[in-house]
This record gives sequence, structure tokens and C-alpha cells, in this order.
Amino acid sequence: MKAALLAAAFVAAFLFTMQANSYYVFIMATLALTALVGIGLNVLLGLAGQVSFGHVGFYALGAYTVAILTTKAGWSFWAALPAAALIATLTGALLALPAVRVRGPYLAMVTIAFGFIVEHAAVEARGLTGGQNGIMGIPQPAAFGLAFGERGVALAAIVLAAVATAAYWLLDRSRVGRAMRAVRDSEVAAESIGLSPVRMKTAAFAISALCAGVAGALFAPLSGFVTPSTFAFSQSILFVLVVMIGGATFVAGPLVGAAIVVLLPEALAALAEYRLLFFGALLLVVLWLAPEGVVGTALRLFSRRRPARRAAAEEVAIAPPAPAALLVQGLGISFGGVRAAHDVALEARPGRVTSLIGPNGAGKTTVLNMLSGFYRPDAGRIRLGGRELQGAAAWRIARAGVARTYQTTQLFGSMSVAENISIASGPESLLAFVGYAGDMDARASDLAHVDKRLVEIGRALATRPAVLLLDEPAAGLSAEDKSTLAALLRKIADAGIAVVLVEHDMSVVMGISDQVVVLDAGLRIAAGTPAEVQRDPAVRKAYLGEAHERPAAERRAAAERLLEVGRLAAGYGAEPVLKNVDLDVKRGEVVAVLGANGAGKSTLMRAIAGLHRPVSGGIDFEGRELSSEPAHRVVRQGVALVPEGRQVFPELSVLDNLALGAYSRRAWRREEIEALLARFPRLRERLHQRAGLLSGGEQQMLALARGLMAKPRLLLLDEPSLGLAPQVVNDLFAALERLRADAATILLVDQMAGLALALADRAYVIDGGRIVASGPASDIAAGDALEKAYLAVA
Amino acid sequence: MLVTSALISGLALGSMYGLLALGFYVTYAVSSTVNFAQGSSMMLGAVFAYTLAVTFGWPFVPAALAALALCALYGVIVERLAVRPFARRGSSAWLMATVALGIIADNAVLFTFGKEPRGFSLAWAHGSVRVAGINVSYLQMAIPAVGLALAAGLHLFSRKTRYGKAMLAVVQNADAARLMGINVPLAITLAYAASTLFAGAAGIMIAPLFNVHSDMGTLFGLKAFAVAILGGITSAWGVMLAGLIFGLTEALITALLGSTYTQLLSFALVIVALALMPNGLFGRAEVKKV
Repeated sequence: MKAALLAAAFVAAFLFTMQANSYYVFIMATLALTALVGIGLNVLLGLAGQVSFGHVGFYALGAYTVAILTTKAGWSFWAALPAAALIATLTGALLALPAVRVRGPYLAMVTIAFGFIVEHAAVEARGLTGGQNGIMGIPQPAAFGLAFGERGVALAAIVLAAVATAAYWLLDRSRVGRAMRAVRDSEVAAESIGLSPVRMKTAAFAISALCAGVAGALFAPLSGFVTPSTFAFSQSILFVLVVMIGGATFVAGPLVGAAIVVLLPEALAALAEYRLLFFGALLLVVLWLAPEGVVGTALRLFSRRRPARRAAAEEVAIAPPAPAALLVQGLGISFGGVRAAHDVALEARPGRVTSLIGPNGAGKTTVLNMLSGFYRPDAGRIRLGGRELQGAAAWRIARAGVARTYQTTQLFGSMSVAENISIASGPESLLAFVGYAGDMDARASDLAHVDKRLVEIGRALATRPAVLLLDEPAAGLSAEDKSTLAALLRKIADAGIAVVLVEHDMSVVMGISDQVVVLDAGLRIAAGTPAEVQRDPAVRKAYLGEAHERPAAERRAAAERLLEVGRLAAGYGAEPVLKNVDLDVKRGEVVAVLGANGAGKSTLMRAIAGLHRPVSGGIDFEGRELSSEPAHRVVRQGVALVPEGRQVFPELSVLDNLALGAYSRRAWRREEIEALLARFPRLRERLHQRAGLLSGGEQQMLALARGLMAKPRLLLLDEPSLGLAPQVVNDLFAALERLRADAATILLVDQMAGLALALADRAYVIDGGRIVASGPASDIAAGDALEKAYLAVA
Repeated sequence: MLVTSALISGLALGSMYGLLALGFYVTYAVSSTVNFAQGSSMMLGAVFAYTLAVTFGWPFVPAALAALALCALYGVIVERLAVRPFARRGSSAWLMATVALGIIADNAVLFTFGKEPRGFSLAWAHGSVRVAGINVSYLQMAIPAVGLALAAGLHLFSRKTRYGKAMLAVVQNADAARLMGINVPLAITLAYAASTLFAGAAGIMIAPLFNVHSDMGTLFGLKAFAVAILGGITSAWGVMLAGLIFGLTEALITALLGSTYTQLLSFALVIVALALMPNGLFGRAEVKKV
């Protein structure tokens, strides 16, 4: 239907041009040539997602090649045309060398520079190009002894535009076209299914250059002369406009776009002068209201709902063609002198689930990134079967048989669910295998969270991997979905795949793992069966911290409620991280919120502090409702958050950091700084140093002092002990103990449950986004709710 | 002789490149976005100043100050219309939207201000002194002086004032800045106002050297963006220095090889530099997180 409409449009254009007067012949030729450039640019901009503000350069190359060869070398047009096409294509591939290495504004700059170079080269190389005066008297092509004339060129341009449209249609449906879209949607995921982003982007540059070059080659005989001023920067912008206004990625997009850009100023003669003004405004309006362009918007408005197509539940072979074990020895990597992982060993055997667990910042994802080739390890070996994989590019590792999924799912969002599977060469029945029951033609970006997870696992399986790496697949899933997922992972392992699982949800890990490897601070601290690991004292210490004696300080009885959180829910996308949390803090109290990684502790702190919006439910502070206030207003109400990871301003001095802490109060006095320096004497020595040079412990003290500078009536502390050495943690908690003695009100989140409970008056245990236990700190310390939440000990 | 005068005009142009590039840096630092049509902001500065000073006959200084205020207002418009709507939904369409707004500005000026380039001569700028055997006009001295003064002003503002430090805090960690009570969206709007103000100042300063017309900023703005990238875009002193180097190199190439090769070589340098150092000469690589 759509194809017939397009074909009819081309036939009509052809017939019209056959008999039109010379004015309309020229218009039709311009329209066809503009469309031809647009179709090529659509491959680059639409399919590969790369912007270019320099395509007039390729257009000029084509035009000058034909002009020079036909006037100076005496070639026929038909010999010069392929030469022009070849030169433009090769230049496109050459430009891709720098262009694929940069993105965003940098890429725009490279292409702009290219356009200017061609324009100025045409001015400079006078001997060849005639300089500013250009080349005159370009002969029109002839065939069978007959001169083509303008009409002939116009008809040829229409035929070529039709051919290019058909070629785009085929490319869009081909493996290469889908691979380009995959690279555009997610380079990371494209690599993980064995596609090379560099190759795909280079191909897109070459194809788009080819189209522009051919269009330019036809332009030369059409106008009869070429001058550099024809190929100005603004023409490149018009080409981009053609694609954007028509609708990038749509077959008919550049055709409609070209029609608007070429015909509209002609149709409204009064407008012709103002055309750039009009086009600028049009582009802005399109970007605001219809980013899919005219064609995309029309298709959306007039498309009928198709019936949902579901995957057939057929037998599907997922067993790897060559089962192999993944052997990891001595793996290590550092970032800026910080050891993120050191001497990590791991053996993932076919048919086994090997889990990698550890507290926050243990280096689990770092290890996964090294195994899948996104980080290049500094040391160690990664072997799959007999092959050495350490340091290989991600897409090569993927082709060797290592597939993976991501913490935040990396589907190809603009593609359908079925395409996400077929791009990785898998059968659609894989969808039924992973338990996806929805529409196979739904856009991947529109899926519910759990379906994204399942489809991503399906796509990973489609590559027929020997090893499947999963990064927190259960995060954000409901309890029911988690158990379905666990069963799926077990089934995948039983088929002979080596499954490597990084996961915070201990009931999933302990339920399906054959082997558990525990990391802490980048080091492997334990390995064994789930039961062995749960009993291991080193593991318990890494997760819970050591139990601490409660200081003898008197606990004050508090009555007045300062903070009251009611039915709080918050999340990222579909699945809420916090579900219905109730919690209160009384004046002068220290309250701890405990729970495993991913339980929702940090989200709770960010929600109270205003960094996470929107939230539902109430956050009442001293009678004021904070749940819709942004962060910069929450702190003015008297609630200060000392964020996870300290987050001092590294390039500013310690003193400036402290002064910024008082920003919400406008003015601060020197005595206040002095009082804080008395509390944290280490900071005094470093007062005029850059905060980034401080040690982790000093930075944490600074972050705490900076928070206190706001004179908060409630201090929120998010994971203050994270990543600090044990002695430093003790110093920190001593400082917190002194704050408590000074009647500060603190809401504290920390993985080191032992220390937190020694400090707190009361505690809440949070698991799966819900409060599962609460009470006096001593009761929580004595009860078993914590162990259950942290290590899934039954 | 030739080289000395090339150095002097290179210094003048280089400081203007630096000023525009500094404008790119200011917005990029706080929001990771830029006004790609910064050349239009520069052109607007010259056009506003010309209109007020010549057409309306205002004295130069109030005309220039009012023109700068109008430029800052234009920066606010750019941020609100062409950047914020896209940056908020995580789209990179701000790049094209700012180009579109630039086209609109250029053409709006074309039809109101006129197509004819207009000379903007300033009485005070014509005087000259002899330096090292050649005549240097007051204007040629004033341009780098204003450029460096504005750059120094930005530096002092960011190091010495409460609001300046708040801006630095936004640059270094926007979330933590919000926790301090800093209004980050407002900071981004102000950065855009400052950015176009710098560009407008450059436009006013170079208007007497060239002519005032709607297209005067396009090429200059693009080259300044190249300067910002080469300067690493994330380092203020880096972009200013890159501007001076770029201006001097350009003037030297012009003096030694003729003006015709300048554009060719300078743009070729941009591509080569970006191919070799995708993060700019003074930029830092970021660790890719997945």
C-alpha cells in the first residue's frame, strides 16, 4: 500500500517532467536531487543516528568531479558519473575515520569543518576548479547520439531518487540496516551481540556520501556551471532540514522533506525571500512538537492498531554449539590509582550458576565489564575454552560466545521486540522460552520493566552463547517475577550454558547458585556453595560489619515528631523502588535505616532530600509538606543530606566547600567554621587545599561538616562508611556519636549495620522497598530480620 | 614587519575567538549543552550596538551596555526555547534547535536591519600609536584588552563571589549543588545569558574592523566552537589560550601564505586534532560506565 503510493508518486513525477515547461523541469530536477541527498543522509541521520552538517561537501565533490572530467579531461558524463560516485564514497569512508571516534557537538564540528574544507579547496585550487569563478560550460550528457538536455537530467534524477528510495527500503529491512539502528539505539548492546559500531557508522557515512556525490554529479550538467558559493554551509543545514522535517528513519521522510524545502518557497512566491526564516521556525516547531517529522507524525495519527502477535511456544535449542568454561585468574584493574578489582579468580562451568556478590562498591560490575570487554584489565587472564579473551574488543568477546545483560536494560528501544531477537540471529520462539507473553511487534522502549529484562535475556541467548553474564537482573522486579526469573536462569544453566550472575537479591542468589564468589573492596574474600558462604564469618563481616558495644551514653526520651513519612512510593520507570514506606523521626533521635543493597535505602534518602522527584505519599517536616519541593528548597526548610559517595566539590578548597554548605542560609560567620574545625580538626590543616586532594575519610568528614553548615534541624546521612578503611570508619562514628550527644537529629543509612545500630536509638529494616521490621536499635540488633534481609538466611 | 602586524591582529582576533569559546565553555560546563549558533549572538551584539549608537545616535558606552543587556536576554531565550525543552527529556535535539534559532535570528536581522553591510566606525578607535615600528590602532589594543578583561572578570567572579562559587559547584557536581540549596536550572539560564553576553561583546568589538551585517558571525562562531573544542571545552583557561593560539596561527598563515589558505588549514587542523584527541587538547577522557 505504502510502496504503491510511493511508486505512483515517482511515476507521476516522471510523467509530469516529460511534458513540463523548462521552469518546472528545473524545479523537478532540484527536487529529485535534494531528495537523493536526503535519502542518503537518512541512512546516516536516521538509521545510524549520526548528525552531519557537512554533506554539501560530498555534493560539491560529485559536482566538481563531473565538471572537471567533462570539461578539462574530455570524459563523457557517463564515465565521469561513476568516478564522482567513487570519489564521494571513498571520501565519506575517510571522513568516518575521525567522525566515528567523536559524538554530539564534536561530530557536528568535524562534519562542518569537512564542508568548509571542500568549499575553500574549490576556491583555492584555481588551476583545477577555476577558483571563485568556477567552471562554466559543463556539457549535458548525451546517449545514443542524442543530447539529454535539462529534461533528460531531471528524468535521470527522478529515476535515481526512485532507485535510492527502493534501496533504502531494502537496506532498512536488511541485516545491515537493522545493525545500524542497533548501534544508534545502544552502542553498548550492539557490541554485546557482536556488532561493530565503527563498521556500521563507517558504512552509513560512505552510503550517505555516495548519494550526495551522485546528486552533485547530476547537478553539474543540470546547471551547466559550478561555483564554490553554490556549496555553502547553509546548504548543508538545508539537507539536514530535509530529513528532519520529513521524518528521519522513514522511507518517505526525505521525499516529503525535499518537497517542502524545494516546492514551498516556489509555491508561495512572496515567501521565497523569507524561506530561511521560515525553515528555521519550521525546524524548531518540528523539533518541539513532532520529532518524528511530517511522515512519522502522519503515520502515527493514521496507523491502525494491528492485532498483537505472540511468540509461539515451540521447542527452542539454546544449548551452546560448543559448551566451554570461563576461567578467570588474577584479574585486576585500577581507575586513577584506585584499585577497583584485584587478583579476582573465577571459574564458570557449563550447566552451573556462578554468582558474584558483595556489598556496594565491591567491584562486581567492574569485573563483569572486564569479562565482557568494556574495560581492559590491567592484569590477569580470561579464558573461554582454549581462547584468551582478556583485552579483546567487546564485540569480539561477544562473538567468541560471551553474552551479557545490563543493570539498566540496554534494548534497542526503537525496534520491535521481535527485531531485538532477530538482530542477534535468534528465533522468535526464544521469547516464549524466556516467558515474554506480550506483543512481539511492540516497541522495545514501551515495554514494562519486567518484559525489558526478559527480552534482554532472550536477546543475549539469541547469540547462542557459551557464557551468559547477568548484571542485577532481579533489580526492580516484584517477588513473583523474581521467582519466575530465578527458574528461568536455572533452566538456562541446565541447558548447558555457564551462567554468571551479579545480583543483590540474596533469595535469588542463594536459591539457584551452584557456586558463590564474594567480593569486597575489589578482592575475593570467599567462595563456595550458598550455605558455605552464608556461614562464612568474613562474608557476614563484609555485609553486616562487626557487632559493636552500645556506648553507655544516656538515651533521651523524645516525644515531638520532626519528620513523618507516610505511604511513600518512588521509583525509576515502571517498577517502584519504594513501596508504601512509613517512617518517623523524633527530635533529638538517631534513626538508622538498614537493608541490603538495592533495598531502596538511597532512594528513600534522595526522596526526602528532594533529589528524587516525583514521589507519591507524604513527607511531613515540622508541619510542612516536602514531597513536591525540589532539593534546593528542601535544604532551606532545614533538612540537609550528606550524600552517598561524599560528593565534595573536588576543585574547590575545603573552606569554599564549607561556605557552600551555608549557601541556603545566605550568610555565615567565621565562628561557625571555627566550631566545625574544632569538631573535625583534620580539616583545619587542609582548609585551603582542594577538596579533591583529601583522603576518603577526610572527604567524608568534610561532607559531614558541609552538611552541618546548613544548620539543619534534620541531618540525613547516606552510607557514610562506604569505601572507608575500618579505622577511618571508627573515627567517623565517633564523630557521629559526639553529634548525637549534642542532640542532633539524624536519619542514617548504612550497610555497616553493627555500627549503625550501636549509634542509633531506633532502626528500620527495609527490604524490597518495604519496611519489614522496626523498633529500638537493641531489638533489631538482637532479632533475625537483618540477616534475613542481607543474606537471605532462612 | 609583516609578522609583527600579523601578531598584533592575531592577538586581537584570538582574544575574540577566546571570548566566544569561553561562552561555549560556560554553558557546557554547567549543562553539557552549547548554543551552536553562537555566531548569531555575536552578530546581534554588533547589530544592537550599531542600531543604538548610529541609528538612534546614543553615545557609544550606553549603547554598548544596552546591547550587551539585550544579548543576555537573547541568551535566556535560547536556553528556554531551544535548549531546556530538549535537555529535560534527555534528547540531544538542542544541537539542531539552537542552529534553527540561529537561522531565525540571522534572517530576522536580514529583513529588519537590511542586506547591505554597514561600516561601524568609532571616532576613538582611529587614533594609533607606534609600537615596534608599526602603527597600532587604539582599537587593536582595546580588543584584546576587553577580551582578557572579560575573561579575568569571569575568573574573579567564579573565584571570589558567592554566586560564582555556586556556579563552580554546579559545574563540579550538580546534584550536590542542589543539596546546598543552589537553584541549578536558574544557574543554567544565567550561564546562557553570560555566554551570549560574551559573544555580543566580541561582536561589538570586531564590528569596527569588519562590517555589520546579518551573516557576520556564522564563520566566526564556528571557528570559535572549534577553538572551544581544541581547548578541551571543560577548562576555562584552556579555551582562552586556544583562542589566542588559534588567532595567532591564523594571522601568521595569512601573513605568510596569503589569506586564502587560512580557512583551509584551520579547519583541516580541527579535524586532525579531533581525530587524534577526541576530548580536545586540554580535555580529560571520561570513563565509560555501563
